[in-house]
Formats: sequence, C-alpha cells, structure tokens
Amino acid sequence: MGQGFTEWEMPEAIEIRGLTKTFGAKVAVDQLDLTVPTGSLCGFIGPNGAGKTTTIRMIMSIIFPDSGELRVLGRASAVESKDRIGYLPEERGVYKKMKVGAFLTYIAKLKGVDSGAARRKTLAWIEKIELHKQLKDVHKKRCEELSKGMQQKVQFIAAVVHEPDLLILDEVFTGLDPVNRRLMRGLIEEQHKRGCTIVFSTHAMYEAEQLCQRVFMIHQGVKVLDDTLSGIRAKFDPRTIIVEPMDAEIGGGANAVATLGAMRSVRGIRHVEAVEDRQGAVAEYLLTMEERCSPREVIPEIARVAAVRRVELKKVSLDDVFIDLVTQGGDTSVKREDLRLAAEEAANV
Amino acid sequence: MSKTLMVAYREFSSTVFTKGFLIGIVLTPVMILIVAGAIAATQFLKGPTPAGTVAVIDRTGKVGPLIQQRFSKEAVDKEVQELKEKAERAVEQLAGPAAQQGQGKMAMSFGQQQLENQVRALESVRVELLPSDTDEAAAKEPLKNYDVAQARDGSESGKAQRMLVAVIENGVLDRNDKGEYSTYGIFTASKLDPEVKGRIESKIDKAIVDARVAGDPRAAAGKLSADDLRALLASPVSDTKSVTKEGIKKSSGGLKVMLPMAFMLLLLMSVMTGGQYLLTTTIEEKSSRVMEVLLSAVSPMQLMVGKIVGQMCVGLLILTLYSGMGIVSLIAFSLAHELSVMLIVYLFVFFLIAFFVIASMMAAAGSAVSELREAQTLMTPIMMIVMVPWLLWLPISRAPNSMFSVVMSFVPGINPFVMMIRLSSTEPPPTWQVIVAIAIGVLTAVICAWAAAKIFRIGVLMYGKPPNWRTLIRWVRMA
Repeated sequence: MGQGFTEWEMPEAIEIRGLTKTFGAKVAVDQLDLTVPTGSLCGFIGPNGAGKTTTIRMIMSIIFPDSGELRVLGRASAVESKDRIGYLPEERGVYKKMKVGAFLTYIAKLKGVDSGAARRKTLAWIEKIELHKQLKDVHKKRCEELSKGMQQKVQFIAAVVHEPDLLILDEVFTGLDPVNRRLMRGLIEEQHKRGCTIVFSTHAMYEAEQLCQRVFMIHQGVKVLDDTLSGIRAKFDPRTIIVEPMDAEIGGGANAVATLGAMRSVRGIRHVEAVEDRQGAVAEYLLTMEERCSPREVIPEIARVAAVRRVELKKVSLDDVFIDLVTQGGDTSVKREDLRLAAEEAANV
Repeated sequence: MSKTLMVAYREFSSTVFTKGFLIGIVLTPVMILIVAGAIAATQFLKGPTPAGTVAVIDRTGKVGPLIQQRFSKEAVDKEVQELKEKAERAVEQLAGPAAQQGQGKMAMSFGQQQLENQVRALESVRVELLPSDTDEAAAKEPLKNYDVAQARDGSESGKAQRMLVAVIENGVLDRNDKGEYSTYGIFTASKLDPEVKGRIESKIDKAIVDARVAGDPRAAAGKLSADDLRALLASPVSDTKSVTKEGIKKSSGGLKVMLPMAFMLLLLMSVMTGGQYLLTTTIEEKSSRVMEVLLSAVSPMQLMVGKIVGQMCVGLLILTLYSGMGIVSLIAFSLAHELSVMLIVYLFVFFLIAFFVIASMMAAAGSAVSELREAQTLMTPIMMIVMVPWLLWLPISRAPNSMFSVVMSFVPGINPFVMMIRLSSTEPPPTWQVIVAIAIGVLTAVICAWAAAKIFRIGVLMYGKPPNWRTLIRWVRMA
C-alpha cells in the first residue's frame, strides 16, 4: 500500500483511491476517490446511510477497506498517525461515572500527551469554552451530571485537546442549540486558523455553506460531488429568476394576467410560474430562463416590462444541490453507474 | 506508558476503586468472619434450660437410685470433665498437638462450651422416685398441664412442674427367652424441648446399663464396673500420620477433602469476578457510546488486550487476597504444612489460563451486544464452563487419577479447574499430565483470544439486533 503515492511531493491530509467496503451484500462505499488538501476545511455531506461514517471509520483505521488505497497525514494508515488526528465520532459518549477532568486527561494521554500536559490542557480547555461558568468545579463532576449540551462540549474537547493536525468531525452540529452551534462554528474556525485540516460531515447544509471551502458529497457509497463552494454554485446554476411584483396582485386579476403576459414575452424566458401567498395574492413569479441565455440581458428587460419591487437571480443553496443529487432518477433505486455518470456529467458542464 | 497499559490501568482502577467493589470483594470476607464470629458467640448463650421434674416409676427397684445418682452434681462434673478431654483429643486429631496452643483450640472450645452448658443445666432437674405401685395414668396426668412459659421464667413453680415420666419394667433388666431386653417407657409433656428430653433419656439409658452390669454375676465376679465395660468397648482411636519425603506429618483427613474444593472455588471466583466485570465494562462502553471515541486513539486490539489485562489484575487481586486469607488461617491453625509452594504457583498458572479463556469469551460477548440483557443468550457456553467443575468436583477429588479424571483434565476450557482439583487432592497427578494440561490450556487461551479479537473488532461498532454465537463465528471467519 502507498506505493502509488510516492510521486506526490506535498502530502495531502487525506488521500483516498478506489476505496471500497462491503458489508455482506451491501456495498457501503464504492470505488471512492477523495483528496483533502492540507490546511483545508472540507464539508462531507450525503444522505443518511450514504457511507459517510463508514468512509470516516476507514480513514481512522477503525475498520479496514476491502480494496483501495488510503493515506492519512502522509502515512499508510491512521494507525501510525492516530495521535495527530482528532476524531469526534457520530456515535459519541463519555464514561458516565468518570469525572470530567479525569476523562479528558485520560483521552489526552491515550493520544500521546504526557500526564502533566494532559491535565494542564484539559483545564485550559474547560476554561476556554467556559464550562466552569455553567457548572462550578466542572472537572471534578461525574460526566453523567452534565447536561447533554455540556457533554457535547466535553466530547469536542476530547477530540481537540491534543492539538491534532487533522480533525474529523462526524455530525458535529447534531443536537446543539443555536447558541452552541455558533460557538461550535467559532471553535472549528479557530482550529482551522491554527493550521488544522478539518473534515466535517453534516446534514446541516447551512453550516456547511457557512464554513466550508470545499464540499464532498457521497450518495449510496459513490462520490457525486467534489468541488469548492463557488464551483458548485457555478455548476448548479439554477437559471431561475425571482420577481416580486410591486403591488400584491390578486390571482387571476387583470393586472396579474398582464404582468404574466409581459414577462412571458421577454426574450430568453421559457416558463413563468406564479407563486401565491395564503390570501391568494401573487407573492412572486419564478421565471425559468432558456439555455445559453445570460441573466445580464434578461433581468433589465424584465424590469422594463413589469412593475417590480425585486428581481433576483436565484442563488443555489447547498440544500438544493443536495436534494437535487439525492432525488435524481428516483431516490429508491438509483443505479450506481447512473449516479456516477450523472456526477461526471455535472462535473463537465 | 503504552496505550494498552493505559487502558489496562483505567480498567483496573475504575473497577477496583469503587464502593461496589470494596463492599463486594473486600468486605465480603470481613462480613463472613463477622457472621462466623456471631454464630460462635451464640454458642455462649444458654441452650434451653430444662425446668421441671422427672418422675420415675421403677418396678425393678434397682434403676431408680442410679438415675438419681446420674443427675447429682458429682456425676454432672464428671461428665463435663469427660467432654473436655474428648474435645481436646478431637483438636489434636485434626491438627496435631501444636494446634492446642493456637486458635484451633479456641475455635473448638466454642462448640464445647455449649455442650458443657447444656450438661450443666441438668443439675437443676429434680428426679422423683415414685413408688413402684403408682398408677401410671395418674402419674402422667400433670404432664398435660406442663406450661412452657412457666418453665422458662425459672420460677420455683416452674421447676416443680412434671415434664417427663419414665416407666421401667422388670424386662428392662431381665432378658426374655430370646435373650432380648424389653423397652422402657418415656412419657413427656408435649411442649418439652427435644434436646432436653434427649439428655434426660441418655442419663436414664446409662443408669439402666449400670443396673444391668451391677446385677450381672459375671461382671461382679470379674470385678468389672459399667464404666470399665464402656471403656473396654469404646472404639479405638487411630493416630494418623502421612509419610512423605520431608518426613512424617500429621495428616488431617478433613482438610484433605476440603482442599480441592477450596482451590476450585478460589479459581472460579477470581476468574468469574474479573470476567463479569469485563463483560459489564465492555457493554457499558458500547451503550454509553464512548467506544468509538476510544477507538479514535487506540486500535480495537489495544483496547481489548488492555481491558483483559486490567481485569486480569482485578482477578489476581481477588485471588491473592482470598488465597492469602486462606494461607493465613491455615498458619493460624498450624496446618500450613498441608500446602506446598508449587500448589500456589499452579493456582496462579491455571488462573491465568482459565482467565484468558473466559475473559476472551466475555470480551467477545460484551462487544457484540449493546445491553447487558442481550448478553444472556451469549453467556450459555461460558456458564457451562463454570458449571462443569461443580459437577466434576466430587468424582474427581475421590479418584484423582482415574481415567475419567485424566481425560477431563485435557478437555479445553474446563481443564484448569479439573487440574486444580487433582493437584490439591491427596494423589497429585504425574508431572507430564500437568505439563500437557498447561499446554492445552495455553493453546485454548490463544485460540480464544484470537477469535475474540476478531469478534471484538466487528462487534464494538455494531449496534442493533443482538447476534448469536453462530453469527459471532461467522464474524471470526469474515474478519
């Protein structure tokens, strides 16, 4: 293993080639290629059961692939570089009966931090995220005495206390309230600034959009997306323009019909759809542009023909991309080959 | 410190430094001692005090006075003295003369004290000799009114109650045509304590024998008293010593029988305690979802080995504690010579073998399930290994070198227990058998640990439907 990687000079944080893992008849990960550049902050998304956790476990050498090559922090497997990796698993917990301080010190020691430093770092972290303000003498409390949110923070400390070079966070935002989500985002960004490479898997597209430079998505064990956020936006150009009329137009009223007609007449518009609000008034129109037609020309034209309050080119959200990719071809029986082709096509647009 | 040792240390300290462990393992022997002491202490309490009178209707005219004499102070003193001598002989018999200076004598004297108290209590019983022509029915009438409460309060009226009537016919002293003596009648109040009744009866028995001997012309001619005859007829007492290479040693049969049992129990207890803890902590790590956090720092193999080593130390602690206590008590009873150093060495060797076999299975079972409840189905083979020594203890300790015993000591899984029973028996097995048994044991342990490692690696991250052993075996093949 690892022979094929010698030609790369600058080691990437994670390099995966043709990674495959099956559980019985089920193919969890299929021929996955993935590169996480050193110092990047990557989002790893995909629907439930897509194979994210399996991939992460293989990166962590907790389970081993059936075939394929894998390099983590320049080593042939994570076994040799475990002390330099921080991992917050999706299935995470604490020793209920252990004291918070003892637990964190134990984990730090397991990651190769020596006793004294482990204790010092633990206390520094508790102070840093102000756990001691929520609960006095928190390091002397048993883990079971902590609230769920506090336990999550303790788990996060456990993942970063040894100052890793690579941080893998699996579903890190699950179960956090908005305040703690923001805190967590801050902590992740801080780790990134320190020079740590970060990969985090999530369902929360909002966080992914806020944080990531790069996004991978896998679906049914196959990579369907691997690009920077701006790249994704460019690729998944929605070709939809949102128009909000100046006055609320009661559905089917004379005004509405006129506006609709005016917008249809604009060159480059293929389809116009009226979206009504609860009262039956038209709240906005969704205009679909034809292929090879620039919004630069269409948008001024719309403003000219109709009285509008707002005209905007719909910005693609990761949510849309996600749903689009997952539901492509009917979500129940998507063939792997089709998925792969679709992904390649998307990449070539 | 390597990661495996860190895991082992955490496993050990989180098990040992808990209230549950200290209470369960350390305090249990203390509790046993306290309870034993309390039971011993109750022996100083008085037994049921016989209060009341014994009426004797003596048709022979010879037995009555002898019965009265048996209840006299001198007779009771003599009986107590005899009891004491008998008890001392018993201690000597069990442990050798040296033990008399040790606690052995003290322990024995607990039991003796109670006997003495009961014998002493009979002094207060008054014997009424009723005329030989007394009407039996009338004599028995007061028995119906015997009041237990009154008898217990020690009052004079209580002591005056009639509790027993003995009717001694002529046939008791004179043999019939077939050469048999006839029986004598005892009538008691229905509430009379059976122990009191027994003691009174034995005194009457002795008085009748005294009367028979006194009335026998041959005994009179040979100048033999009833006591002489009793002494003549008492079964001889052997003084058993075993001849060994180190010299002649006092042999104690009782201890020889108990030793294999004790060794088997020690082994079972220490192995199972560590094993059970291993199962519980593994399941706990899974159910609290801390498992994968640990696996981010250590490999499944390091984790499993660390946990097994940690619990092995727990088992060793228990083994050392309890066997140490056993050795100390043997020294206290001057019985330490019954043990050889090799036996203790073997105990630890077979502990390690048995522990690794059981612990591997426990780790595999624990890793495969998510709750303790689900582990029950997987525990069956482990429980079998633990149950079998109980069934085998008696046949093997009786015939330690039978074909059956030899075959059993080569059966993987149970052979550490079988070997321990045989080694601590009176006829230790030949050395080659011990070596073969150790070899088989080590091989079993290695195979079990290897299979467990495979199951553990798959099992630790598996949640959901609890698997059965068939599934686990498939995992072994798969990994």
